[in-house]
Amino acid sequence: MTQGERVRPGIGELLGSPADDRRIAFEGAQGISPWQARFILLKGTNPLFRRGRLGKLLRYPRWVATSQHQRNDMGPSSNSSSLEAALRDVVGSDQVLTRPEELFVYEADGLTHHSARPRAVILPATTEEVARVVKACRKHEVPFVPRGAGTGLSGGALALADGVIIECARMNRILRVDPGDRFAVVQPGVVNADLSKAVLQHGLFYAPDPSSQQACTLGGNVAENSGGPHTLKYGTTTNHVLALELVLPDGNVVRLGSPTGWPAGYDLVGAVVGSEGTLGIVTEATVRLTPIPERTETLLGIFPDVVSACRAVGAIIRSGLVPAAMEIVDRRTIEAVEASVYAAGLPTDAGAVLIMELDGPAVAVGVQAERTQALALAEGAREVQVARDEEERQRFWRARKGAFGAMGRLAPDLYVNDAVVPRRKLPEILEAVCAIGDKHGLRLSNVFHAGDGNLHPNISFDRRDADELARVLKAGKEILQLCVEAGGVISGEHGIGTEKRDYMGLLFSDDDLDAMKKLRAAFDPTLTCNPGKLFPTTRFCYEANPKARGYDQVPLG
Amino acid sequence: MSVLDALSRELGEARVGSSPGMDGRVRPGSGEELAAALRVLAAGGASAVVRGSGSWDALGHPMPRARILLETTGLLGEVQVDGEDGVAHLPAGASVSSLGEHVRKETGGAWELPFDPASSSSTLGGCLATASPGFRFGHPRDVVLGLEIALATGERVRCGGRVVKNVTGYDLAKLYVGSLGTLGVIEAAWIRLLPAPEKTECWWVPLADPSQAVEPARLPSARAAAWLSAGLAREIPKPGAGMILELAGDAPAVAADAEFLGRQYAADPTDPAGLGLVRAMRGKDPGVRVRVSARPSKLKESIAGLSNAGAEILAQPARGLVWAFASDEAVVEVAGSAGDGFLVEAAPLAVRESRELFGENPALRPLQAALKAQYDPAGTLNPGRFAGRI
Ligand SMILES: Cc1cc2nc3c(=O)[nH]c(=O)nc-3n(C[C@H](O)[C@H](O)[C@H](O)COP(=O)(O)OP(=O)(O)OC[C@H]3O[C@@H](n4cnc5c(N)ncnc54)[C@H](O)[C@@H]3O)c2cc1C
Repeated sequence: MTQGERVRPGIGELLGSPADDRRIAFEGAQGISPWQARFILLKGTNPLFRRGRLGKLLRYPRWVATSQHQRNDMGPSSNSSSLEAALRDVVGSDQVLTRPEELFVYEADGLTHHSARPRAVILPATTEEVARVVKACRKHEVPFVPRGAGTGLSGGALALADGVIIECARMNRILRVDPGDRFAVVQPGVVNADLSKAVLQHGLFYAPDPSSQQACTLGGNVAENSGGPHTLKYGTTTNHVLALELVLPDGNVVRLGSPTGWPAGYDLVGAVVGSEGTLGIVTEATVRLTPIPERTETLLGIFPDVVSACRAVGAIIRSGLVPAAMEIVDRRTIEAVEASVYAAGLPTDAGAVLIMELDGPAVAVGVQAERTQALALAEGAREVQVARDEEERQRFWRARKGAFGAMGRLAPDLYVNDAVVPRRKLPEILEAVCAIGDKHGLRLSNVFHAGDGNLHPNISFDRRDADELARVLKAGKEILQLCVEAGGVISGEHGIGTEKRDYMGLLFSDDDLDAMKKLRAAFDPTLTCNPGKLFPTTRFCYEANPKARGYDQVPLG
Repeated sequence: MSVLDALSRELGEARVGSSPGMDGRVRPGSGEELAAALRVLAAGGASAVVRGSGSWDALGHPMPRARILLETTGLLGEVQVDGEDGVAHLPAGASVSSLGEHVRKETGGAWELPFDPASSSSTLGGCLATASPGFRFGHPRDVVLGLEIALATGERVRCGGRVVKNVTGYDLAKLYVGSLGTLGVIEAAWIRLLPAPEKTECWWVPLADPSQAVEPARLPSARAAAWLSAGLAREIPKPGAGMILELAGDAPAVAADAEFLGRQYAADPTDPAGLGLVRAMRGKDPGVRVRVSARPSKLKESIAGLSNAGAEILAQPARGLVWAFASDEAVVEVAGSAGDGFLVEAAPLAVRESRELFGENPALRPLQAALKAQYDPAGTLNPGRFAGRI
């Protein structure tokens, strides 16, 4: 390492340490990226890390003041400096970050082993500013990338091709809540959990609940079509977005969809949700609000092994019950959780626990919970506990929600893979996934949305160990291959981004991918919006625009 | 060689025939044949009207350029029902009623196919292409997991998959559902099935004011809700305006909601056949039929405006959907301001020629046109039928 080179601390180094250590790590870090800070936020025990403060810290880290780095004038070309001037003109100088120390924090999202330093980061406050920023980038032929909280796990918010990041954090207002018609209009920087908090008084909530919901933004959720533990019953983000305001890649602003969710033309909202920020920048979203169910029952099944827990999931689905959530936490994760601040009193000798939640009308939920319990016991649960009160319910969930944080104890880095298989194949796939981890000598654990067949094999590793990193990537690919062979897909909620772009061929033919590119071309013929994501780099070409071809073939930094 | 001759040569004579008012028709018997037919059409510069069972023939702008009828009812490929996972792979050309029956049989009544179109002969492909809302199951987009599609240029592609959660690549299925056969022809779909309810009951809730129908339509076990103006209610037959409500779910939940309906709304149990009659009404064509999306708080106002234009009304209050049935086009005029958007579902040829039938944001036209240009550059499929006559 050369002198002055900064080392981003690994997730484990940050998550595995007590709150005060984390603060010290944060303040003393030679460099930190937003995903790391957000992970800290997810743990969120120290008031120092409350969002507003954190946002400031992220933008102006303390160590910036003592940095040896000079300001980056966006490169030597006059094109760059005239772009910089144009951007400062739109959003004001304070909201254009160009110093290497400032940019450093934006060079990765939650996928820690992919990184690319942006040319600049722009923080617009209004749709109009976003549109003008986009137009300026287009004029200067500089690609741009929308970004929310940077918690994405597939490299989607990375600025490749020397692009500019347009961060939506300042657009964080809930513009309207309509409890009667059950919708809300929000800006993209609103944090997922904040929306549910804001509408609680009306007896409503926003159903998609990614595990990162304390930090991730609704703009990011829309782009990734995020799911969460309760997707099983309530669906993913796409089932809850009614309308969008979108700044198109040419800078024009359009409104898609309608507050009732029945558009008369092509379903453009449906096409944009899950498009990973490649079709434009969402500057406003109208989302459905859901009534809080009358009663919720949470059960914790304790199983001798993960395979029997998976079998129980299959039996429950087959029975026609639709639980709100079914989440599995395996033995290795339980051990990590129990040794951490999230300790939930789970038996460390259990092979796996299955959290089962049922909700709905009070008269029905009790019976459903009894049926669920019986099915879990029949499939080999050695015990099924029923939460007696909210405190106990939270305790059950702590094991699930604290899992990622607890992993930080195991190693500096965590690779969270994401794939889906037909639910009835879960038992055999889980065994095979663990075997892949063992074969490569990796610390692989599983905590996942079992009810949806959505696996998250998590590999704890140290990215500074090149050999281990190579084994992690190899195992990751083998897991994806396995899932595809079982009739599954390579991402259930984290998206493709840079991480899996070259694995799209596992699932799709060239013609399939070309059909997707037609959608991209209709929205963004010059491919300036978030290039280099989603499509394989090896064979991406648009004859119409040789420059665009260059963008999408940009390797990772 | 004419296009019809080329089609005969490529697919066999049995697949090609005549059709009144058209140059001819072709009925591919498989995905390969469909792709081959599309390649022939594209090569010959010909355009086709894509048709399932024909229940939506009156939807969309007229298509004078399209001289060949492309029938999808021969697309009867693989049926695969996975009762363990609650998903099914179903061919686009089969009728939804036959597929529903098959799903019920295969799963011992445990799962249901979540479509209930107006016509029992409606094909699955037609239901998806029109995105027509049934009464029970909401928007078809929410149950489509994956699609197999033949593009206008003849490539066979797929998107999505068979699993219930998936963000692998763009969600093209959303684009295709509701695209009215203008971007490609759906061959088959992976559909998410729904568990069959333990108990089902039908109730009649007498309610003159449609805005009061929202609350009962939102009861936890309310599955299908149709508010009818007095003129339509008479056809069930009921004496005045009101709502037919199907409760479905676990027996205790249904019983609790039924008790609430009786107590709060003086509602009575009614013959479930009434719901069938209402479903058939959706296909009714008294001259002009317009679908308006109106959020629940605007329902009363919206219905009043449409009624004043001489329409009888059928509404799904909780879903924000209103259908206006009228004998003349005055109702189309009102539809524009009656809600958040509209779609003229059926109208005489003169109206379909002269008016815009898709009441969507005109600012979206360039984007919609760009999509059409990408997916169907030569205008092979249903040219001119869609919003903005693309
Ligand atoms: C601990 C942890 C747990 C997680 N659990 C879940 C989970 O349960 N379920 C799940 O689905 N995901 C989960 N994630 C992944 C991640 O939180 C989600 O993908 C989330 O939606 C990303 O939101 P963000 O605001 O951080 O977006 P970012 O990471 O900033 O961006 C993600 C993508 O969205 C695009 N984007 C952002 N804002 C906009 C906008 N305004 N317009 C257009 N595009 C935009 C970006 O370009 C990028 O492609 C988890 C992540 C972590 C770290």
